[in-house]
Amino acid sequence: MKLLVLVCLAALVAAPVARASDQHPTQAELEGEVMCPVCGTTLDQSDSPAAQQIKRVIARRIAAGDTKSEIEGRLVANYGDAILAAPPHHGFGLLAWWLPIVGILAAAAVVGAGAWRWSHVREPAAPAAPLDPALERRVDDELRRYEA
Amino acid sequence: MARSARLTAQALAVAVVAGLLALLIWRVVHDDTATVSKALDQGQHPSAPAFDLERIDGKGRIDLAAVRGKKPLVLDFWASWCAPCIHESKRLEAALKRYGNRIAFIGVDTKDFSADARSWQRQHGITYPSVHDGGGKVLAKWGGLPIPRIFFVARSGKVVGELIVEEDLPRYLRQIAAS
Repeated sequence: MKLLVLVCLAALVAAPVARASDQHPTQAELEGEVMCPVCGTTLDQSDSPAAQQIKRVIARRIAAGDTKSEIEGRLVANYGDAILAAPPHHGFGLLAWWLPIVGILAAAAVVGAGAWRWSHVREPAAPAAPLDPALERRVDDELRRYEA
Repeated sequence: MARSARLTAQALAVAVVAGLLALLIWRVVHDDTATVSKALDQGQHPSAPAFDLERIDGKGRIDLAAVRGKKPLVLDFWASWCAPCIHESKRLEAALKRYGNRIAFIGVDTKDFSADARSWQRQHGITYPSVHDGGGKVLAKWGGLPIPRIFFVARSGKVVGELIVEEDLPRYLRQIAAS
């Protein structure tokens, strides 16, 4: 329950920040999320002419007041999905977003089930072997003498 | 119960490993790294891979399959950020004046911003039509980076060569014009 409240609070705090980032993207932010089409790195790690061209386009679009999604949409329309460093939120790209979450949930379920089993299921105790009658008599004698 | 759960988990693990193995084999078998450029290096003359892309001037599309086999053609892969492309495209523009009635010249603006590509063409006086290959998928089939890459396709639709040294240009132009 506490965890749920924490998640909800985090979402409430993060939502306006994300909206602000979309409305007023920065050059550095976009350069870290857009790939250089010829070098296989993000723009902020490349000084190639192709990267510089896209940096100029981004700067122009920011100056023109475009939102982050508009700028990314323009880049995707021109270069395709591969221009974004993050996988797309549709088609095969969805797998990259959901697979880690599914993996974590599956691992948590396995660990949880294992812990539950370990704490609830006990091996039944082995039945005690019948005591030798002579030994039993001797134990009774010893007990009587002790209590006397 | 514990035994059946263990067996199910083991079967699941084996299935996952088998699936990953199958994926790896499929990837190796379908390794699509064969390019026109590599084929030419090996002395082969493959058919020009078709493409159907939008022209950067907005005047419709160019479908290579419709041109291939009817007229010899020169294919120029370029981008506005590519400095050496200026020199090569200008040489092709000069060749267009001489061979334009016999050979089709087509540019493929690749991994580029189409608005910049249009300005670049205007700035350098390039008049032959170009299509936009933003993601570089067509370029990848022909040989990938670096650019410029210039290919010569005979009337038959077979690629006869790629420009490697300056002297290749007049030689290949004569060859495909006569095809």
